[in-house]
Amino acid sequence: MQQQGSKSGSEMEVTWEDQQNINTFSRLNNRFHDLDDEIKSAKEKCDNLEDAGNELILADEEMVRFQIGEVFAHLPRDEVETRIEEMKEATCKSLEKLEEEKVSIVSQMSALKKVLYAKFKDSINLEED
Amino acid sequence: MSSSSPSGSGGELTERRGIPAAKFIQDVETYLSQSGLDPNSALAFHQERLQQYKVVEMKLLAQQRDLQAKIPDIEKCLEVVATLEARKGTGEALLADFEVSEGIYSRACIEDTDSVCLWLGANVMLEYSCDEATALLKNNLENAKASLEVLVADLQFLRDQVTVTQVTIARVYNWDVHQRRVKQVTPTAIAAADS
Repeated sequence: MQQQGSKSGSEMEVTWEDQQNINTFSRLNNRFHDLDDEIKSAKEKCDNLEDAGNELILADEEMVRFQIGEVFAHLPRDEVETRIEEMKEATCKSLEKLEEEKVSIVSQMSALKKVLYAKFKDSINLEED
Repeated sequence: MSSSSPSGSGGELTERRGIPAAKFIQDVETYLSQSGLDPNSALAFHQERLQQYKVVEMKLLAQQRDLQAKIPDIEKCLEVVATLEARKGTGEALLADFEVSEGIYSRACIEDTDSVCLWLGANVMLEYSCDEATALLKNNLENAKASLEVLVADLQFLRDQVTVTQVTIARVYNWDVHQRRVKQVTPTAIAAADS
């Protein structure tokens, strides 16, 4: 009847399903940022282990000081090599898992964006500021 | 403000570990007439709720940071005890360089040993056998990880309530703007019809 010129979206109804979608989007967004940080530190750890492995190959000594906890233990070279390999494998595997989770979250978020923009158009802003 | 009024949200929690849930409003007009609030008071109420949620969020985030620092510490201790245990059979002493002060390290010769001392906090250190130490540390690690999980779930619940409250504030505000616009248009429409 009236208000045909008004496009402010102030007549938009928000259903419980919409609210849940918005909540889920918010959760995914938070998890996405946390994942970014985790991936960064996992990558750094991987690089450090790589460098350590290379240094070890170049080094001459038989006993190497390897950090366990807060102390540097004197360990034979072979043992250190094994330990570094194990740590590298574990870190790389967890990095892979994190990257996979990130990809899945990104796709979930873009699916939700489509749904929410379809209903709310300009009344909602889902972009990073 | 009645907290037991029926809502259409179907089976959601009304509060979690002391954090009150934000009730979802199906229809702004019904909500305002039921609660007897005018838009401004409703907005003020929800803004205050939002502030309270933020305070709780700060507290939970601090707890989360503490736990996230504690877990790697326990894991490091476990690693050291495991290394000592692995050496037990061989009879060799373990040489370790440890930090005495910033930038200053000293060498320790750790003989074959059956027991380790664990720092329990509050100036207390207890001697344990390697097995007991491993068991205690593993237990602490499990507890810390479980607490962290619960904390993360609390934070997610809290963030959901914050989002619901923010959306409610936006809706009440928009509804108010809409009402004012309707009131402005209607008198002019009547005047035009009369003339």
